Amino acid sequence: MNAQTHILVVDDDPDLVEALAMKLASKNFRVTRAYDGVEAWEKIRADKPDLMILDVMMPRKNGYQLCDEIKADPQYKNIAVILLTAVADAVATTSYTHHDGKKTLADDYIPKPIDLDKLVSMVNDNL
Amino acid sequence: MTFVPRILIVDDEKRIRSGCVKMLTEDGFSATSAETAEAGLAIIKKEHFDIILLDLMMSGMSGLDALVQLRMLHPDTVVIVITGYATLEYSIEAMKRGAFDFIPKPFSPEDLRRVVQKAVEYIRTLQDIATESSRMRVLINHLSDGVLAVDSQKKIVLANPAVLKLTGYEGSAVIGRQLSDVVTCPDLISSLDQALGMPLEEFREIRGELNGLAVDSGEGTVIGVRCVPFRDRLGRTLGAVLVLHDITALKKIDQLKSHFVSMVAHEIRSPMNTVLAQIHILMDGLAGNVSEKQKEILGRCAEKVTSLAEMTTQLLDLAKIESGLTTGEREKLNLSELLLQQLSFHQDQAAHKKISLSAGPIARNLLVMANPYHLREVVANLLSNAIKYTPDGGCVIVSAIERNSYACIRVSDTGFGISSEDLKLIFNRFYRVKNENTRFIIGTGLGLSIVKSIVEAHQGRVVVESKLGRGSVFSVDLPLLLLEPSPPSAPDLCEKGRL
Repeated sequence: MNAQTHILVVDDDPDLVEALAMKLASKNFRVTRAYDGVEAWEKIRADKPDLMILDVMMPRKNGYQLCDEIKADPQYKNIAVILLTAVADAVATTSYTHHDGKKTLADDYIPKPIDLDKLVSMVNDNL
Repeated sequence: MTFVPRILIVDDEKRIRSGCVKMLTEDGFSATSAETAEAGLAIIKKEHFDIILLDLMMSGMSGLDALVQLRMLHPDTVVIVITGYATLEYSIEAMKRGAFDFIPKPFSPEDLRRVVQKAVEYIRTLQDIATESSRMRVLINHLSDGVLAVDSQKKIVLANPAVLKLTGYEGSAVIGRQLSDVVTCPDLISSLDQALGMPLEEFREIRGELNGLAVDSGEGTVIGVRCVPFRDRLGRTLGAVLVLHDITALKKIDQLKSHFVSMVAHEIRSPMNTVLAQIHILMDGLAGNVSEKQKEILGRCAEKVTSLAEMTTQLLDLAKIESGLTTGEREKLNLSELLLQQLSFHQDQAAHKKISLSAGPIARNLLVMANPYHLREVVANLLSNAIKYTPDGGCVIVSAIERNSYACIRVSDTGFGISSEDLKLIFNRFYRVKNENTRFIIGTGLGLSIVKSIVEAHQGRVVVESKLGRGSVFSVDLPLLLLEPSPPSAPDLCEKGRL
């Protein structure tokens, strides 16, 4: 991957964001960070990413809302979105979303605990 | 204290009075006498007698007239009339006016003893009934459960204060009134209707749960309902009994427990996920060089944290299932496909132990109404257990057939088997079979209780048969949605054999 590919990582746990950022940086991605949905919007407007890794449970604005807003915005809807879901959340999202796409418009999802290598290959698949 | 019946003899013949008093006193009764009807009436106005021997022919007030007054004053008193001339008319007239029996003059001590004894037995029976009914009344009125009984015409024959409170009824006396005047909740009425209409050969309890608003006992209350018919000796339905039990507190505790478990699981799982990611960053050398030994230790850390994370996930699942949050999310699901997917998904785990994991007969298109995530959980748990608890080189077979509108899934293994003591406990939360075979098997003890909760939430059942050293068979029956007709030429079963 080229160094220009820009990924925004959004999660309310700074340690997790840091760990994901380190892994992605090691694969030559450029990484920016945000810690909630509102801050994420600011980062997107300031510097539009190619792909976002987005946690679901976050303060101020959750991942589903943010994802829906991005996908509804003509200027930003081409940003690929990978949702981070805890397994229990998968009941409401992954297994259903992927059948009918109604609950969220995310491009892909990865369950927690996150397999970092799988995340990297998923990022590549969605670019 | 033993019951000593009190007897009054009213007769104008002194000989009879004294003879009777003497004999009855000797027999252990308390006997008193009066010479005239007027004197007798005066005595019984002051004290109670159980039996009165009353001469019909006396000077002054006649025995028949005295009898009428007696019955008015003491309806419980048993009156035996003494007739000087045993004419049928007099005896019949006396019986009509409420006499219990009659004894013609002249009579022997044995005659007297016999007729008094008969009266005593009658009194004892009445007393037993009165005692019993008073005991029952006190018991039922003091129950915190609501109890209501109706007869076959749906007239109320019994209703305790608790049932009136639970149904929010605030009117006056309800005994003898029509059920629909007192109870408005259609669910309660229909429970009673069902119990009353139950065929003779059937006897079962109708159970239900109502939220408080339905029965007017307030928001947030939950009432458990049970209803059964009651019948006479010939089995004819005489009526039905309804029992209401306030289970609000139980429900609240259950909910609190589920909230607590879910909160704890969330709060623990998130940091654990982060820790796992951090460990992998270290192991990948992204935070500096790591020695082989350090890598090994980090690897073990990751394993431990992973199994803790799995446990919290399972706890969370259990809490969700038990609080009924997810039972609504159901869809039409092809169980046959799900089984085949899970079979192939578990091939790696099986191959790792050189276990043959294969499909037995699996009927096509077994359709159930179910939550796919949860059913996958059920099948995955059963398969992974079978593989875990079967020694290397063994085999695990999965089959699914249709039987009596149920889909019957069977997972059988040639594993260690389960002892009969353990069999009773394996569906309990956190229970794990501990012996030399299972010592190194990692698990949380939650898998089977999750299986049971899910299966039961889908109106199904799970049973297990096992022999130590021979293996186990887990069977899950789920109600079928319908079996789609397959083309007549197509074989009804999938190919048998290894996937």
